[in-house]
Amino acid sequence: MKKITELIKEQRVYFDGGTGTLLQSMGLPAGQSPELWNITEPEKIISLHNMYFDAGAHIVKTNTFGVNREKFENYAELIRAGINCAKTAAKGRENAYVAYDMGPTGQLLEPLGQLRFEDAVSIFADNVKVAAESGADLILIETMNDSYETKAAVLAAKENSDLPVFVTNVFDASGKLMTGADPAAMTAMLEGLRVDAVGMNCSLGPDLMLEIMEQFAKYSSLPVIVNPNAGLPEVRDGETVYNIGAEEFSDYMVQLTQRGATILGGCCGTTPEFIAKTIEKTRDLPYRVPEKKNLTVVSSYTHAVFVDEDPVLIGERINPTGKPKLREALRSGDLNYILNEAIKQTDAGCHILDVNVGLPEINETEMMKKCVAAIQSVSDLPLQIDSTKPDTLEAAMRMYNGKPLVNSVNGTEESMKNVLPLVAKYGGGLIALTIDEKGIPETAKGRAEVAEMIIRRAAEYGIDKKEIIVDPLALTISSNPESAKVTLDAVRMIRKLGVKTSLGISNISFGLPQRELITSTFYANALQTGLNCAIMNPFSAAMMNVYYAYRALNMLDSGCTDYIGYASASADNSTKTNAPKTEENLHTSIVKGLKESAAQKTEELIKDTAPLDIINGHIIPALNEIGTAFEQKKAYLPQLLMSADAASAAFEVVKRNIPAEQSDKSKAIVLATVQGDIHDIGKNIVKVLMESYGFTVYDLGRDVPPEKIRDCALEHNCKLVGLSALMTTTVPAMAETIKLLNETDRSIRVIVGGAVLNQEYADMIGADHYGPDAMDSVRYAEAFYNA
Amino acid sequence: MKSSDIMMIRAASDEVEINRNELAQRLGTARGYSSELIESCREKLMKVISYKCVYIRIPVQKPQENVCDFGFMRVGSRYLYNNLRDCDEAFAMALTSGIAVDRELAKLRVISQAEHFVTDALASAAIDSFADYAVSKMSNGLQCVPRFSPGYGDFSLEFQKPFLERLNGHGLLGITLSSAYLMTPVKSITAIMGIKK
Repeated sequence: MKKITELIKEQRVYFDGGTGTLLQSMGLPAGQSPELWNITEPEKIISLHNMYFDAGAHIVKTNTFGVNREKFENYAELIRAGINCAKTAAKGRENAYVAYDMGPTGQLLEPLGQLRFEDAVSIFADNVKVAAESGADLILIETMNDSYETKAAVLAAKENSDLPVFVTNVFDASGKLMTGADPAAMTAMLEGLRVDAVGMNCSLGPDLMLEIMEQFAKYSSLPVIVNPNAGLPEVRDGETVYNIGAEEFSDYMVQLTQRGATILGGCCGTTPEFIAKTIEKTRDLPYRVPEKKNLTVVSSYTHAVFVDEDPVLIGERINPTGKPKLREALRSGDLNYILNEAIKQTDAGCHILDVNVGLPEINETEMMKKCVAAIQSVSDLPLQIDSTKPDTLEAAMRMYNGKPLVNSVNGTEESMKNVLPLVAKYGGGLIALTIDEKGIPETAKGRAEVAEMIIRRAAEYGIDKKEIIVDPLALTISSNPESAKVTLDAVRMIRKLGVKTSLGISNISFGLPQRELITSTFYANALQTGLNCAIMNPFSAAMMNVYYAYRALNMLDSGCTDYIGYASASADNSTKTNAPKTEENLHTSIVKGLKESAAQKTEELIKDTAPLDIINGHIIPALNEIGTAFEQKKAYLPQLLMSADAASAAFEVVKRNIPAEQSDKSKAIVLATVQGDIHDIGKNIVKVLMESYGFTVYDLGRDVPPEKIRDCALEHNCKLVGLSALMTTTVPAMAETIKLLNETDRSIRVIVGGAVLNQEYADMIGADHYGPDAMDSVRYAEAFYNA
Repeated sequence: MKSSDIMMIRAASDEVEINRNELAQRLGTARGYSSELIESCREKLMKVISYKCVYIRIPVQKPQENVCDFGFMRVGSRYLYNNLRDCDEAFAMALTSGIAVDRELAKLRVISQAEHFVTDALASAAIDSFADYAVSKMSNGLQCVPRFSPGYGDFSLEFQKPFLERLNGHGLLGITLSSAYLMTPVKSITAIMGIKK
């Protein structure tokens, strides 16, 4: 018998169809897990597989979709029995294969859900080990509606077996997974992980898959699987039925075949008749081997970014080199600062964000993992993972949701030996620096030679050159007068090697005055030379001007739409800044909730006013004014919060101007929403008000275990803790936290708040204070520290 | 061919009007109050919201006082029992406004507490308004009692699990449960709504 991986490259291959309906007609009670029949009614499961083999299917899916250790204690037995049933049916047949069928865990992964990525990998790994021992021919990871969980399943499959891996995801009518990824993004990630076939199943009928199939055909170099439902459920004569019959279904399968699908089968509502008819109608259609696509692509959990003639902007702001504020944020673990930079760069129009957190005094790997996870919860751009440490690269590439850009490998033996295997395993676009043991070659030719050597070595690891983006290293012209010319010549030569190029643009002007002039002009030259990616500062108007103008001039911006949008927005901005100054001062800016104005007025004040005077003379009185209005019901909560946002912005400016050693950490509070509760609106309101009043807030987030709250209070020697809970069910967790804090240190004071609490409840659980609203909590905290 | 009995209702964001009273209550403002901030949050939210509802119509049995049996789950709850006093059939439904709302909230949590608070209130009012919209579609002229969700009164949150399993809430809506039985996407609703005899 042929290997399935060979068969799918030679001919059209057919999967079986649905099982649930058929098993129910064989007597499976509604609501019972069908997988239990692998053990109790194996002959029925075998006969189901036989029906599909008889209809002409090559591959049957084992009856193991929902089995994992979280749902079934005897998961191993169920998987083994399921595979045995399918093997029994396949026995003696030619080209009959058993796909171990692995469905989702049913849990959502962090950061939006609770399941940790490595725990998901481990759940799948346990399944895969059993499947591999039991003699499955391939692993089918199916009905996945989240890219991150898909990645966990694929890693588990690859790390625990040598079996071929097929993956089908569930797309909705808009062509996206439930968590947002489109076919291009899924294909990029899965090809990077080196699966054997990709595609879609369930959810939609074959009619609605036609458009999605076109996307797969455009992006996938792998065979594409299509396992649709028998249409959508609808009510006919009081009965719910799927609305597409076998005849119509198979007609659509012909169209899907013509659009490039080469592995065909069915999902919910389909029967052996659907499969037999599909085979009959598609068997004699011409078969085409999936065409290899020469695409350089990286992806996030929503979309793919293609590196080609249209220039790609890689935001450089998350890199501590030369950025004291970011250094300080990294040292103090202030992720908020980093996330703000990520959001601002996303809004500024970057396509990819560089993430470099290398500082000698911090644990780079841990910080990188934290940052990647946090940035991926606020920005949907693909990330460029930037580190010189292979361990850091690996940790981040593994837990990254999508196919990352990896920065970087270079031509030294050590770097190639360390980095290339990582790209081979996890997938990734790869930045290759033209530097080797002897340093950076002085000539363009020398740099192109290093590039060529890296391309050759990468190929030994099965890394195609379309994955490689060469950075020929722009050095500053202040010390290397020929640098710009050499670099651009190198770009030209490297393009001829058939790979893409990237440059850290800003380096070119290092050490010169008015750097933007040089940098942006160099960028224009580089684009004209054919540069694909620029690692750059998206907040530089000069750089963005070049980017938009270049695209408009080179027919990359149809109808100059993007340029016009950009140009009119910049015009708006410049009128704003040139507009006569309004009469606002810091006080009125805060009262009216004008964030930018508040920051700007503070910048003006700080020039001749002591930081503390700004806080006590301007910020606090303004906050008190709006706070009192709120308490008297003359202002609403949204207004109070806008004022708090504005005050925080002012505070940020003040803080930056207080030398670190003088900053006042004495007024501090630990805040958390207690374990089991994910409602954090109330806690966040308290946080922003506390911060605007100058408190240092250690915000532990939501769903926080008691021990973590205690540890934080101890670590910072903070005697004030604020706990929030919205649900009656989580008040016990609050009580437990208070108990633990009391046992640890009697001098710690605990404020509680949240919708379900009142004074009586607060007393009962031993809280020191009940805060009915955020203003009250601030007043209590002020009194506490003034006492 | 007979198959799953789960039905689906979708709505575009502009088909559902956010209930003004509901919103005012959540924002803590006077009814009909609006501001630039609220309107700009509303506009951004409407771009990411994606309403979906699944439901089934099921018989309700009451084997003993304060117990309701829906076939797939048996619930001991005095409140629910009273709610369904005049019903021997009900709709069981699950609704969501999609994971993109969670992402929007995660982002706003970082950049502005005012926007986060307002958007959260808008999203809560929006899913409630969508529930009203979906209910009017599914009831289609039938007389129904007010909908009742796990977590109300003594109807334990733990019933979220059998409820979502029966409705294929994970497969069809992408709803998952935390260990404390809270749903993600966070702006999701499960409910029973009795049909009057």
